[in-house]
Amino acid sequence: MSAPSRALATLLAGAGLLPAQGKPFDLAARKAAHWAWQPLAAASPAPADPDRAIDALLGERIAAAGLAPAPEAPPGVLLRRLWIDLVGLPPSAESAARFLADPSPAAYDREVDALLASPQFGERWARHWLDLVRYAETLGHEYDFPIPNAWRYRDYVIRAFNADVPYDQFVREHLAGDLLPEPRRNAAGDDESVQATAAWWFAEQTHSPVDPVQHSADRIDNQLDVLGKALLGLTIACARCHDHKFDAIAQADYYAMYGFAKSSRYVQAPIHAQDVHGAPFDRALAAQRAVAAAWAEAGARGTPQWLAPRTTPPERWSGSGGVGPLRAGDRVIASTDDPAAWIVTNDGFGAEPWRGPWCPDPTAEPAALHLLPGAFWNTGPAGRHREGNLQTQTFRLDQRYLHVRAAGRNSRVVVVVDGFQVVRDPIYGGLHQRVDRPYAHWLTFDVGQWRDHPAYVQCIDQVAGDLADPDHEGDSSYPDDGWLAVQAIVASDERGPPPADPGLALPYRPWTATPGGVREALQGLAAAQDALPVSPTLPALCDGTGADEHLFVRGNHKTPGQLQPRKFLTALAGAEPMAIPRGSGRLQLADALLAPDNPLPARTLVNRVWHYLFGRGLSRTVDNLGVLGDAPANPELLDWLARDFAAHGWSIKHTIRRVVRSHAYRQDSRASARGTEVDPDNLLLARQNVRRLDAEAVRDSLLALGGRLEDALYGPSEPIALAAVEHARGEPERSGPVDGDGRRSIYLAIRRNFMPPMLQAFDLPTPFATIGARSVSNVPAQALTLLNDPLVHAMCARWAERLAGAAAADQDQRLDAAYRAAFLRTPRADERASCAEFLRSTATDLGVGIDDAGPWTDLLHCLVNTKEFTYCR
Amino acid sequence: MNPTPSPSRRDLLRTAANGFAMLPLRSLLAAGDPGDGSRGRHHPPRARSVIFLYMDGGPACQDLFDYKERLAAEDGKPFALPMEPTQFQNNGNTLGPRRPFRRHGDSGQWISDWLPHLARQADRLCVVRSMVADFSEHTNANYFLHTGHGLQGRPSMGAWVGYGLGSDNRDLPSFVVLNGGLIPPGGVDCFHSGFLPAATQGSIFRMRGDPLANISPQQADAPRQRRKVDLVRRLDGEGLAHDGACDALEAAIRNHELAFAMQRDVPELCDLAGESPATRTLYGLDDEYEPTRTYGRQCLLARRLVERGVRFVELTCPDTGHDRWDQHSKLDRGLTDNCRMIDQPIAGLLIDLQARGLLDETLVVFGGEFGRTPFAQGTTGRDHNPFGFTMWLAGGGTRAGTAYGATDDYGYKAAENPVSTHDLHATMLHLLGIDHERQTFRYGGRDLRLTDVYGKVVAPLLA
Repeated sequence: MSAPSRALATLLAGAGLLPAQGKPFDLAARKAAHWAWQPLAAASPAPADPDRAIDALLGERIAAAGLAPAPEAPPGVLLRRLWIDLVGLPPSAESAARFLADPSPAAYDREVDALLASPQFGERWARHWLDLVRYAETLGHEYDFPIPNAWRYRDYVIRAFNADVPYDQFVREHLAGDLLPEPRRNAAGDDESVQATAAWWFAEQTHSPVDPVQHSADRIDNQLDVLGKALLGLTIACARCHDHKFDAIAQADYYAMYGFAKSSRYVQAPIHAQDVHGAPFDRALAAQRAVAAAWAEAGARGTPQWLAPRTTPPERWSGSGGVGPLRAGDRVIASTDDPAAWIVTNDGFGAEPWRGPWCPDPTAEPAALHLLPGAFWNTGPAGRHREGNLQTQTFRLDQRYLHVRAAGRNSRVVVVVDGFQVVRDPIYGGLHQRVDRPYAHWLTFDVGQWRDHPAYVQCIDQVAGDLADPDHEGDSSYPDDGWLAVQAIVASDERGPPPADPGLALPYRPWTATPGGVREALQGLAAAQDALPVSPTLPALCDGTGADEHLFVRGNHKTPGQLQPRKFLTALAGAEPMAIPRGSGRLQLADALLAPDNPLPARTLVNRVWHYLFGRGLSRTVDNLGVLGDAPANPELLDWLARDFAAHGWSIKHTIRRVVRSHAYRQDSRASARGTEVDPDNLLLARQNVRRLDAEAVRDSLLALGGRLEDALYGPSEPIALAAVEHARGEPERSGPVDGDGRRSIYLAIRRNFMPPMLQAFDLPTPFATIGARSVSNVPAQALTLLNDPLVHAMCARWAERLAGAAAADQDQRLDAAYRAAFLRTPRADERASCAEFLRSTATDLGVGIDDAGPWTDLLHCLVNTKEFTYCR
Repeated sequence: MNPTPSPSRRDLLRTAANGFAMLPLRSLLAAGDPGDGSRGRHHPPRARSVIFLYMDGGPACQDLFDYKERLAAEDGKPFALPMEPTQFQNNGNTLGPRRPFRRHGDSGQWISDWLPHLARQADRLCVVRSMVADFSEHTNANYFLHTGHGLQGRPSMGAWVGYGLGSDNRDLPSFVVLNGGLIPPGGVDCFHSGFLPAATQGSIFRMRGDPLANISPQQADAPRQRRKVDLVRRLDGEGLAHDGACDALEAAIRNHELAFAMQRDVPELCDLAGESPATRTLYGLDDEYEPTRTYGRQCLLARRLVERGVRFVELTCPDTGHDRWDQHSKLDRGLTDNCRMIDQPIAGLLIDLQARGLLDETLVVFGGEFGRTPFAQGTTGRDHNPFGFTMWLAGGGTRAGTAYGATDDYGYKAAENPVSTHDLHATMLHLLGIDHERQTFRYGGRDLRLTDVYGKVVAPLLA
């Protein structure tokens, strides 16, 4: 049976689809040969009226096939289509009444504008984007550990779509939102930009891999896969083990991109970034100094007694990092003597080390001061209400032990080896230590198992927030209960820590009394600390030590090849190396990716918009515009849309408005006899497509009809009802109500191993990679859901009650109201007769009146089971 | 020989549910689908169905099937070979088998005293003692065993089989998971359809309460249900008549009918009241040990499903309170209870399949995601070991009464004729009539298959 496959290979090779055996990889030739790499073409002739451009560009081909576009869809069909597509809900009664009374083009435009301006627009379109970044709130695998505060990213995306953030800015934020010189801030002053970088951390991860390098390589592969597919429509990850089989992407390109991810790290980033030189911060530091001064004054007066052992003059404390004399072989990884050895990511640690010598313990009750001799990175004075994150540069673990000199409460120090962040038992638990002593002491880590591996140390003044933190259920309260001071990190082959400078070895004494003057100073400190803005956090990127990666021969990290300096794809940015002044270089990556001559971001995006509005992209393979993807049915239109998009400020709302105002979008979905014959798959779009509602729209429509839909935006995710899922490891602790508290589907918890069953039945994808085109399956589970799911029954019962309460008792009027709400039309005579007969026989069987809730609930249940409910015509 | 499926046919199937439900009835009829699964086959099959007895957690093969004299002799002594990194890195001394082994049947298969019922079926087994896998960690290993890939998101082998062959029963899914109670690490994605049509994913039947999500009507009143279904059908029909034919809508209407049929048939299917007392005894349905009763029900249901044409049935383990077959400690107690749970039901299943003439066309596969170390973890456990372990096959065109491959003297690493997970998959597909290199699905720019770019059919396993 080898003949056909050989014939096929010949065929593919002839079409340029298969590299002939032994033919060298020729990137330039591949680029020249494939449409997607080419600049956006100007339509020729340029459509005179941009409002008619779409129809003009489609019309040529439709006419050439001897077809004509379908007439405009009936107003009710059109309005329902528009609502489902733009906001994912059935039309409101007001909108329906308004538009059915006046379905003029001007009235249609007004509906479009109102929907684009409504907050529900963001809830609908954010969900599309979440599919592209494989949004998830857990890591999957054995225990399905949570990704703390992942849901804030979902809210960020909703806000961004509602604010119509220019798409190039949106992309820039995803690549380097943590690095922008001027981050985008919302009205409350929150840093919006940094929040986009959470998307990097939705990669699935396991705990305790035997080979952490392999694990990190798999994680980065997924990150590059998503970056390539979501932003560029390219399958970059296909070049992991060899040059791309079909596209102009070399294996060297893959590892040049790899370095960007490898040089970046996980943090919980504060949303309210504060200026560490700004007034509130200064006030907290000043108040802290006032406490120390008041204390010294009290000490000078002779109280309290235990100040006596202070024998070293304060100037010596503040002049030294405080590490005592080192032993032979000890090596300082970082100390406060050398600020450049540290990466101070979040603002809690301030701009420079604190030189006390006193530090308040904000967690102590009553308030306490602790002696902290020497210079410490310290979140105690001004890190309240926020997470401080202090890290070392990446270094090699060349000795068996790491000693960290620290003080603090409810804090942690984590050693991250090989970029592996899920630091847990059984293998990695020892790399994570709590800090829970408020005086300077040494923590010792045994890192002998990872000798010669690259590592860095993260010092964080919180207990919760680790990637895979099982104690953290992702609620909105910030665990603001820790402080941390860190002085030095020393590598050593000695199990015991270096001796501390004897001159600095002062006894720890908590302060529990309040001498005169100190009380007031402490109150001042408390007030200054309370005035520090509260900062919730979310998973984000921060820059680590910039490092390139070697090419992995055959994708195997154990066989490294040549080092690949970080740069963007050669086919788009040329072979020149990228100048990266410091850090990861993601800012430079963003510039390169968004360079005006890169046609892919705009092309990919408008093709997606088309997909969401027609059920099929102009190129159907929305995540792969490469050689194995689908050549666009109408390249002129695709490029015209992309240029129009870029010319209008990369406004997604603009492009949506363009498309939904076209006749192509508004036309009827019914096929003409000739259309069925000439163009059975509707490639020419001489009619709209009949489309199934996606999962969220099905559930949200049910909530809307039942009058149960909450219009609150944002917030922590709604747990799913556990009765409906299989028991397994990592099961959520809390079960939610069947109706999800009436919240829209986008707010249901997306836990990889416990996905919402109803949404899954309607093709909500398990998040693992970019999904630009969900499968639209058609399985019995969907019908079983609509027949028997308790939520469906509950909503139909509520709907029946509402009808009984709102409409007149007259059966016809009630039926009209039901049909209007569900389908924006009145029932036809045949339907009216069928429904009436159904009500009659059901009422008889149940022994109740025909107006009773029982028969009506059954009838409404039938209506949501008809295909008119789950499909848009 | 059946014709090779053409690309256009594959395109059609790509949008299909249960292989074909998305296709409108008329084109289904026009396509002349024989409805017997032959359209996805590349050669005549030896097996029509698969029953996968999945031993979640990784059974200790040195204690069950892979007898090593030297391992027994050096029990308690320092382990003589270099050790690979293990998950817990708490490696102790050599740990010999905890029960005597004996040769059984005409074939003389080595089987531990822990499995007396199965031992009497020795001549039906085709034992592979040289399995190797790629991962030491449960979840990766589970995904790997189920999907041929160590990460989440790929189609399960049951989905691939259903994708290729469809179901012989239009009223039941092609891939059914009988959940004894323990969903393996990695969750239900072990049974997922990945990028294949959603209809190919495993339908998980529970052993308690409702077998299937939403299978029980909210209203117990059957005529009331029937009336509703009738109204839906009438309204849908009137809608089609008014708005014109539409393939997607017609397919959805058909699925509604199928759902209603399943609502009727699945509870009947799962009702074992009609089985004879002899059958109940055979499977251990009245055993005093609850996990045995549960596993017996699963095995019996598996037979009923393949009888009805379901293509791929997977059984997950009931909970014996020992964290599956994952004996990091207390090996003896864990194996005692686990073996007690599976021994009689599996033997019963083999006997029953044979008696009904189903064993020839049903491929039974037994095994976990990896094996366990021949040296102790601590003193009483064994850690994960993907370097050499045992699985066995029975029926479905496999060579009965044989043992293939071998591990080293300690049962640590495959030393002779190693069989990879991909090889196992290739062989399973081969027995079903599918060429693993030709059953592909275009996704993300690649033609993907269950065996990735690996795998070969292991000919000596074939009868």
